Amino acid sequence: MNRTPAELHTNRRRALQLLSSSLAIALTRCGEPREEIVPYVEMPERLVPGIPVRYATALPMAGYGRGVLGITIDGRPIKLEGNPRDEFGGGGTDIFAESAVLSLYDPDRSRIPIKDGIVASWEQFSGEWANGPGAGTANGGAGMALVTGRITSPTMLAGITALKMRYPELRQYRYEAAHDDAPRLGAQRAFGRNLDVIPHLGQADVIVVLDADPLGPGPNFLHNANEFSLRRNSQQPQRIHVAESGLTLMGAMADRRIAVRPQRIAQIARALASGFGVNTGAPGLSPSETAFVQTAAADLKQAGRGLILAGETQSGSVHALAHFLNSQLHAPVDLLNPADPEEQNHAASFSAFLRDVESGQIRSLIILDANPVYDSADSRQLAKAIAAIPFSVHCGCYANETADACRWHLPLSHPLESWGDLKSPGGATLLMQPLIRTLYDTRSSAELLNLLTMAAPMGARDLVRANWMPSGGSDFEQWWRQSLTAGVVPNSAPAPVSATAAMPSFETVQDPPQGVTLSLVPSPSVWDGRYANNAWLQECPAPFTKEVWGNAVQLSPEDAARIGVGFGDAIILRRGYSEIEAVAAVLKGQPQGAARAFLGQGRWRAGDIGNGIGVRMTALCPTGLERQIDGISIRAGGKTGLIHTTQYHTKLEGRDEDIFPLAASAQIASRLAQLKPDTGGIVPPLPADPYAWAMVIDNNLCIGCNACVIACQAENNVAVVGPDEVDLGRDMHWLRVDVYELDEADGLRRGFQPVPCMHCETAPCEPVCPVAASVHDHEGLNVQVYNRCIGTRFCESNCPYKVRRFNFFGYSRGQEYGNLGQPPVRAQHNPNVSVRGRGVMEKCTYCVQRISAARKNAEKEDRLIRDGEVKPACAVACPTHAIQFGNRNDANSAVAQLQHDPRHFSLLAHLDTRPRTTYLAKVWNPPAGQTG
Amino acid sequence: MAQLFRPGANTVARTVMVAIIAVPILAIVLTFALWESPYATSQFVTQNQPVPFSHEHHVGRLGLDCRYCHTGVEQAAFAGLPPTHTCMTCHSQIWTTAAMLEPVRQSLAQNQPIRWVRVNRVPDYVYFDHSIHVAKGVGCTTCHGPIGRMPLTYRGEPLTMGWCLSCHRHPGSFVRPRDQVFNPDWQVPEDQDRAGAALVRQYMIDTSGLTDCSRCHR
Amino acid sequence: MSATIDGASRWLGPGAQSSEQITALISAPILERLSWRNWWIAFLAASALTVIMWISAIYLLAEGIGVWGVNSVIVWGFAIANYVWWIGIGNAGTLISALLLLTHQQWRSSLNRFAETMTLFAASIAGLFPIFHLGRPYVLYWIVPYPNRMGLWPQWRSALVWDFWAISVYILFSFLFWYAGLIPDLAVLRDRARNPTTRRIYGAFALGWRGSARHWDIQQRMYRAMAAIAVPMVCLVHSIVALDFAASLMPGWQETIFPPYFVVGALYSGFGIVVILAASLRWGFGFESLITREHFEVIARVLLAAATVMGISYAAEWFTAWYSNDAADVSQVIYQFTGTYWPMYLGQLLFNCIIPQVFWWPAARRSITAVVVVSVIINIGMWFERILIVWNTLGHGHMPSAWRIFLPTFWDWSLLFGSLGFFAFLFLLFTRVLPAVSIHEVNLLRHEEQKA
Repeated sequence: MNRTPAELHTNRRRALQLLSSSLAIALTRCGEPREEIVPYVEMPERLVPGIPVRYATALPMAGYGRGVLGITIDGRPIKLEGNPRDEFGGGGTDIFAESAVLSLYDPDRSRIPIKDGIVASWEQFSGEWANGPGAGTANGGAGMALVTGRITSPTMLAGITALKMRYPELRQYRYEAAHDDAPRLGAQRAFGRNLDVIPHLGQADVIVVLDADPLGPGPNFLHNANEFSLRRNSQQPQRIHVAESGLTLMGAMADRRIAVRPQRIAQIARALASGFGVNTGAPGLSPSETAFVQTAAADLKQAGRGLILAGETQSGSVHALAHFLNSQLHAPVDLLNPADPEEQNHAASFSAFLRDVESGQIRSLIILDANPVYDSADSRQLAKAIAAIPFSVHCGCYANETADACRWHLPLSHPLESWGDLKSPGGATLLMQPLIRTLYDTRSSAELLNLLTMAAPMGARDLVRANWMPSGGSDFEQWWRQSLTAGVVPNSAPAPVSATAAMPSFETVQDPPQGVTLSLVPSPSVWDGRYANNAWLQECPAPFTKEVWGNAVQLSPEDAARIGVGFGDAIILRRGYSEIEAVAAVLKGQPQGAARAFLGQGRWRAGDIGNGIGVRMTALCPTGLERQIDGISIRAGGKTGLIHTTQYHTKLEGRDEDIFPLAASAQIASRLAQLKPDTGGIVPPLPADPYAWAMVIDNNLCIGCNACVIACQAENNVAVVGPDEVDLGRDMHWLRVDVYELDEADGLRRGFQPVPCMHCETAPCEPVCPVAASVHDHEGLNVQVYNRCIGTRFCESNCPYKVRRFNFFGYSRGQEYGNLGQPPVRAQHNPNVSVRGRGVMEKCTYCVQRISAARKNAEKEDRLIRDGEVKPACAVACPTHAIQFGNRNDANSAVAQLQHDPRHFSLLAHLDTRPRTTYLAKVWNPPAGQTG
Repeated sequence: MAQLFRPGANTVARTVMVAIIAVPILAIVLTFALWESPYATSQFVTQNQPVPFSHEHHVGRLGLDCRYCHTGVEQAAFAGLPPTHTCMTCHSQIWTTAAMLEPVRQSLAQNQPIRWVRVNRVPDYVYFDHSIHVAKGVGCTTCHGPIGRMPLTYRGEPLTMGWCLSCHRHPGSFVRPRDQVFNPDWQVPEDQDRAGAALVRQYMIDTSGLTDCSRCHR
Repeated sequence: MSATIDGASRWLGPGAQSSEQITALISAPILERLSWRNWWIAFLAASALTVIMWISAIYLLAEGIGVWGVNSVIVWGFAIANYVWWIGIGNAGTLISALLLLTHQQWRSSLNRFAETMTLFAASIAGLFPIFHLGRPYVLYWIVPYPNRMGLWPQWRSALVWDFWAISVYILFSFLFWYAGLIPDLAVLRDRARNPTTRRIYGAFALGWRGSARHWDIQQRMYRAMAAIAVPMVCLVHSIVALDFAASLMPGWQETIFPPYFVVGALYSGFGIVVILAASLRWGFGFESLITREHFEVIARVLLAAATVMGISYAAEWFTAWYSNDAADVSQVIYQFTGTYWPMYLGQLLFNCIIPQVFWWPAARRSITAVVVVSVIINIGMWFERILIVWNTLGHGHMPSAWRIFLPTFWDWSLLFGSLGFFAFLFLLFTRVLPAVSIHEVNLLRHEEQKA
């Protein structure tokens, strides 16, 4: 600016002004960055910045719903927890529920309609639909096809009915890649109609499992896990017999287990049935099989209530037999009218779809949240066929493989962004409410159906409300508010129907064919592939192999030896003309001649995270939905396979007592009594503050489902490092679940052991830190002060449990793997936990932020924290309630009680580190006539 | 042979030897002195704000309660800054044309927030919570200085860790009766030692844990 | 002791029979125009490695220690091994110089100067590695007790804090000890140099030494006093380094034998490097008359003794493991012999304990080549020992579920070899600016020998 000399002439006052202002500027320049505070123009109702709010909503899992509570801070969902009001689930979560909050912020989610790979708009689509296929009301929408997954949402079903009313000729195809056709067939045979069979593990005295995994991932997982935990430690422990063709979580819990080829299961089932007055014609059994059947049958006869469970990979007749036996045994099972009303079976529907697409009968195709191109065995051919269809539209959260083949792609809203309703497998209806406004220009499925019906445009909320208006009763608003806050529609759970199972007929069971039988089961980390772009899940170690970022084929040591491969070697699987290259995971306990692999990997349009991870096993299937494929030939070779694992050694090397004591329930107490830790160390015990936080983990209840691992990751901003870093041995999980192989008298047993920080009272990590970044606080927490840490890593080198994790790179900022760290993903970070930078050590804190919050609340009310008021994320998540946390000084607290349990022991007790995290030993319940 | 060095060389040599010892020590002492000074702590520094808001006027003279604007202070970690609407409750009636208040009117008209410059700031890894301090009798002026007498808001205290510890180690010398927490003119009484100790007991403040790292850092 | 070999003297060759001869011989590399060719070749090679070292260091600081092979279980790697190895070498020089001075070993006179220099450089390089190894090197100063507005202090129970003091004090002291011995020689150079600038520089550092009886008296008394302090201090330093491991509860680390056997190991590898340097000086600058076969002969004896002690120390480890009957300790020893790195462990035993036994034969002791070769082998063996201490214990600790292996990366190696080059770089510079052998002490030796 230009001034006249007069202005420039400075008198004394002006000089002072200049002086002061320049001084002020100089002062403000130093040290700290300039920071702004931006308040609201108008503060939203009932919002206090920084105070977390919980909302009840529901998440879909293979079409079924599970109730969750979403924790939002300043309008950002940052964490999900189980909704206890959803009785079917029992209040826990699984890895899929925990990780949904990350997928909400996934930068790869599609944000806008796309036509022929070019950005389009919703208006453009509705226009083309109205003038194109949508106009075809004259011919009743002939040649119009709708492909969906399993749909249980009443509103959605109503929407589809409306669509069908507008286009009577519309053909609907419904399939799930991880389907339940076998149980459905079984029900059809046994009861003459479709019935959902819901077992109550907790009420059975004896469970005989025929190649099923009730504790494996799936819509029923939460229910089964909860039920399992109810009975596991009771006075009359139940007994579990498992005959299976691969390693399952249920198998790891078994009191007696045999591994057989899948074809043998049918024989075993028949032999079992013959003990209950079913004339099955005595099948030939091997000695071990006979022994198994005898003990199982004997147990079932003695038992008050027996329960028989057949697996999805087994044939319908095995299921029918199971249904029949269950009705004979008065087994604790609920028969429900299926929540999924579709009559046709998944495989049938899917092959019908393939047929009609190939034959070109479909003129306009709507694919709603399904991925047939990836799911079908011959993806290339199907993609070509779909591309030939004049009008094809794919609706989904991601522009996936199928979207590639379709002309249109319409972005769906994430479940946490949308209104809706879902049915739990138990039949109760759950309401979905958005925790956040849609991040992008997306629509919910209900809105989309409404759009296709070309009805008056309505928001999803109104659609859901409209659908429930009748059942709302007189005071609908009040009913609606009540249901929303609960997340569950009051008393919507249907009563079980009664049906008697007919004596099944048997087809002749053929002998196992040549070659290996490959069972395809849903992945414990990415299910059927729909979660493949979630970095937390990709880096979630598989229960037995501890494999991350891949899906190795599980082989028996015998088969591996035959073809000369070891753990992690490359193999080639061949069926007919189709061949795939994979990696071998050699596992004890896998039956000879049977291999097992996980679905859901080998995707090429999943997103930055999921692309090119693992192998697409369904390429070996005839159509794509077969779950048991015979006559596979396996040989060594292919590109040098690399298996990414987080645990390299699963033997205990004779340190059982120190680390993982295991015994028959009768012996365990005496066995542990010998090795009580001598805490006669020279270090005096910690002073008794009001609080002495402690954790007790029950190895007997831990089923190795990893829910705690992902919950911890979500709560504590734990970074993902990616496969390369994992190979270098740099996994960051604060809580790891160790798996151990124990060679017991009656064969191999496996045990899971979650290992968080032990918070030792005499912590070896503390005296070695040169800057006191690793210190104890007065409540017994061993805290790591990130902002003080200089990264000598002395603490971890001196930690006998090796539970500390180091940021070798800036995993959370800049150098993170794939998507993590991009702006949308940062929005998931928990604002009450520091995001650790490069070069600092980090570890489990017992969720100190939760303790701190609880303490503040208590102190504001001048009281002490109540038992159960603080729960770390892992304890909240655990579906079997294996992790208990509380104040050890309070004699009535849950942990204080558990510490007097005869099964109580601490890890590496002889080191006298006096861990605050302690364990309850795993026990097993020897079958009749067999002692430990 | 000519002398290599002049006699002065001895002095130089001695000086150098002394310097080798003295300079490092002086350097450390000086750095620390500077680091403690307002220059580094930004104490007493006024920022250029979009609106020259005067606590002296609103609190000191008009006697507005702190909580009228800083609504979150009793429930949340963040005391909160008033939304434009709060300002306009009065200023839609008085000083409606004051040029000084133009940004506020603009903010309301265009629904654009006022961007204030932060005055009191602790690092991101410090989890400070207003609500608990207020609940336990730590008054506003204890940390924010004579706010009621600030024509323009400045940082009343250094807000360094050492300063925090001075209270976390001896809360007794700072806490006040609950009804005095929001009193900008409260003065430390003569018998603070006794009264403070009594209050610490009454508030059930467990001093042993107050200096745990985990209290502020996670 | 055997009788003197070449007539006149045992420790001095024919080329060093007069004060003038000796002074000229030693100051030649600094003041005369010798053939520079070999020196330049060596210097260029060393500079190249030095550049590599600093590139690796800068890359490391820019990218973070993830560029190394360290992982969440084996959190320490090359950096710590290199540090222990270098500090070991760093310990020998002062020990040799001081101990032999106090025990009136005449033969030290032609070794102590470059041995002390070696100490200085090695200790300084060693000091770099703990800094490189930090996750956040820029806050290194937090382990120093200094007044700060956070009201925080170092954690005195940590061996790393002791380490910091030990090393910094040691480097400082070694420098003073070295300088105290250097002053008279600086004066000599000042007086012999022709170029006035050179004279002024040496003159400045000679601190006005005039060689008066009083000067000599003070210098000698101070020098011996410092020597008396140096000996216990050297043992202390390496004992503290040993405590970094011994003061833990990891199997294979928490052993009371660590401090003594680290000290011996230090002396051992240090003498090894002294041999290599002595041989190269002898060859490079024609110091045959100053550094005679006799010197190598006695050093060989020392090496032999040290090798035996090392052997006993290793055996003691195995015994205590067996005797403790602790599952982790026993399995640790078994792992050393059969685990991932068993070839290196056998190498360690062979190089450190078996091969040096050839020195039982006088012929081997008297062959300079043999002594040099063995010295190189010994130092490789000692590096194996240090890296295996880290790898075996961390990779095979208390929890089998956390057993891992270490995969070195390019940057691990480049920093190791780079640091060797950097040492050579510094040493070569030293040989051209300061007398590599103590002028006044050799003269004294000659005087005494001719008296005898």
